[in-house]
Amino acid sequence: MASDGVWWRVAWRNLWRNRGRTLITASGLAFGYLSAVVMVGLTDGMVAELIENGTRLMMGQVQVHSAEYLPERNMHHTIGGYDGVDLEALLARLEANPDVTAAAPRLYGGGLLSSGDETKAGLLYGVDPDREQQVSTLLSRVSQGRLPVPDAYEILVGVEMARQLSLSIGAEVVVVAPASDGSMGNDLFTLVGTFETGTPAIDANYAVLPLSDLQYLMAMDPGRVHEVALTVTRAWDTPLIASGLAASLEGSGPQFEVTPWTDLRPELAEAIGLMDAVNYLIAGIIFSMAIFGVANTMLIGTFERRREFAVVRALGTTPLGVGRTVVYEGMILGAISLAVGAAITWPIVVWWHNSPPDLTSVLGGFSFSGSQWRPILRIEYSYDTPIICAVALFLTAVLAALYPAWKATRVPPADALADR
Amino acid sequence: MLKLAARSVGRNARRSALTAAAMVIGLALLIFSRSLAEGAHEQWITSAIRIGSGHVAIQAPEYLESGKLEHRIGAVGHERALRAVESVSGDQVLAHTPRLSVDGLASSAASALPIRIEGVDPEQERAFSDLDEKVEDGRYLEPGDRLHAYVGVELARRLGLKVGTRFVLTAQSAAGDVEGQLVRVAGIFRTSIPEMDQGLIHIPIETAREWLGTPDAVTTVAVLLATSRDTDRVVSELRDALAGASDLRVLGWRQAAPELDSALRMDDYGDYVFHSILFAIVALAILNAVMMSVLGRRREFGLLQALGLTGAQTGWVVFGEGLFLTAVSGVVGMVLGFLFTWGFFRNGLDFSGLVESEGAWASAGGMVDPVIVPTFHSSQVLLSLYFILIIGTLASIYPALRASKLDVAEAMKFDR
Repeated sequence: MASDGVWWRVAWRNLWRNRGRTLITASGLAFGYLSAVVMVGLTDGMVAELIENGTRLMMGQVQVHSAEYLPERNMHHTIGGYDGVDLEALLARLEANPDVTAAAPRLYGGGLLSSGDETKAGLLYGVDPDREQQVSTLLSRVSQGRLPVPDAYEILVGVEMARQLSLSIGAEVVVVAPASDGSMGNDLFTLVGTFETGTPAIDANYAVLPLSDLQYLMAMDPGRVHEVALTVTRAWDTPLIASGLAASLEGSGPQFEVTPWTDLRPELAEAIGLMDAVNYLIAGIIFSMAIFGVANTMLIGTFERRREFAVVRALGTTPLGVGRTVVYEGMILGAISLAVGAAITWPIVVWWHNSPPDLTSVLGGFSFSGSQWRPILRIEYSYDTPIICAVALFLTAVLAALYPAWKATRVPPADALADR
Repeated sequence: MLKLAARSVGRNARRSALTAAAMVIGLALLIFSRSLAEGAHEQWITSAIRIGSGHVAIQAPEYLESGKLEHRIGAVGHERALRAVESVSGDQVLAHTPRLSVDGLASSAASALPIRIEGVDPEQERAFSDLDEKVEDGRYLEPGDRLHAYVGVELARRLGLKVGTRFVLTAQSAAGDVEGQLVRVAGIFRTSIPEMDQGLIHIPIETAREWLGTPDAVTTVAVLLATSRDTDRVVSELRDALAGASDLRVLGWRQAAPELDSALRMDDYGDYVFHSILFAIVALAILNAVMMSVLGRRREFGLLQALGLTGAQTGWVVFGEGLFLTAVSGVVGMVLGFLFTWGFFRNGLDFSGLVESEGAWASAGGMVDPVIVPTFHSSQVLLSLYFILIIGTLASIYPALRASKLDVAEAMKFDR
């Protein structure tokens, strides 16, 4: 329709008839966009951090255990029972699955670590260092020294544990742990490194040993492990991949249980779902506040233009045409605010993402819903958040224009022309 | 002048109502979310503090950093600390309890796990913490118990413990030796806080003293207050009372539980950001509305000035108008927010339907009860009102300036 273009032009011109008003309204909307994207980004950053510390730091995306192991985590319930399994064959079999990108065997133990003067209880984490690095990120957090090598009685502990035991690199550590045969295993290890995750609970309690050393300490055969942790190709599909794996492992021989991280940490998965809901709530509140600002301005604008509307109505325009121009005005306003908002938001978000404010010196880390959080205000950006916020902003502008538009259609031409 | 301002607000009832609506809703929302956040914080602090070391903890000076038994309080220091606690004025102190805490290893035939062992006085602990109410199986410790232990449900599961099962605690004694102690499960508790359910054991303090070779010693005297707000006052009162005792240090919970402190502060930062955004949007709405009212009424102001008002006086009318609008909607918004929150949710807002596992509400050694009871702090409410007024004032300045610099002739001649 040719006349449509005219109405767009009327709307466009009208916006600039009152430059100050348009700029204030547009900057209000742009600010709303910026704050919504930043708030959601901060929450996403916190979620990413929680998933990182709750799963990737130590857990792995999928875990394979003996069917009896969970939830008690009894130390005797190794994969394949008391006899263990042919570990190499099991790992090869798991890695043969196209969805699995890496597999790492683990053995867990609890014991006392002693530096001579000081003694502390800790969790012993027996790993294959090469394989473990493909599954979890703990071993990449070494702050001093290096990773332990197998069969050399070497050990890696958290920085906080090293501090409490007054240990430095090269020092000797006595490790005492209840063994599977009921005796107390004890051995002398050399501290070759410390790791620092930033979360006190992990840095103070974990000691990493090569798998074979921990097996020897706990009087277990080389084929005995508690768990095989896996990295899979499609992280969001973990539950599906886990059930596929479980089916492929069924059959004769040892009974396995395959568990995705969402089942291992249900409270974390739920807390993350809750935070997503809070995100939408915050964005909703911000935009509904913005609706008032815009509606207010546009309403005043239409009141001022009563005579103008009356004239065009008197010249034969339908009420719909008059209302349309007001809605168009809202649309153009939305588009302008969006352009401004995006232009401001993107550099800020990208900068924030790349150099997040690190509050570690002011605040300590803390536990949250079964995971750990470090005070680094990361912003995560995905493509859906800015797009959803953009749609919300545009809708805000259009919705806010509806009531003024309706008012504009109701301007009685004769009365308005006769006497304001 | 005021009358003029008030009238011009009233004359544009619809516009005023819209602007006021933005402010009223903004402020009501603010009061609502603030009171919920306050309520959640208080519950969170209380839950963490009753299991932890109290609102106020009295310890040996080095204990917080070292956590070691060598930094313990002896009988004399304990006696002095108790006298100081009992001398605290008013009825702020609800309860206090002695604790002898040590990190150690709990082991059974099934597994071994690092844990925190608290030697407690069963009777005093019952009044202090609510751990005894979280019993899942068996019972809490009782006076006269010797080798009994009260363990978390997750620890019990991991070690394969049931009520009556025996297991071994191992820790470094005061002499530096590694000593074992056989205990028997008296009861199993569930707090839904993962760190506690898996990592905390209560045993009778006498048993702990004997086992660790520390007769009459405590590591912490924990003090519970009626509300967390009194912490600073009680801390300074206790510090004065114990000024001469160099072997004792008085700590508020923010120092004694740094993890909880940072979690709460982080949560507060988030609230501040959200509230600043709300305020900024409200400010823009006010600026816009007052601005419009000036630009749209050039004729009117022209007339006022033609009738003899000076530019400055016109400016004051506009300023007064903005301020009046802000003040009225500020008060209305506050009352509305208060009534809404109080009227509907004074018994608490139940969020428990949102998530199934209770562990999702646990953080930093405490937990937020999913039924949140809003708490009002008059200071905070007044602060919100104050901010709204400031914003209203600031937002009115520019339009007022515009109005005061109006060219009378130009404004009057323009006929619409």
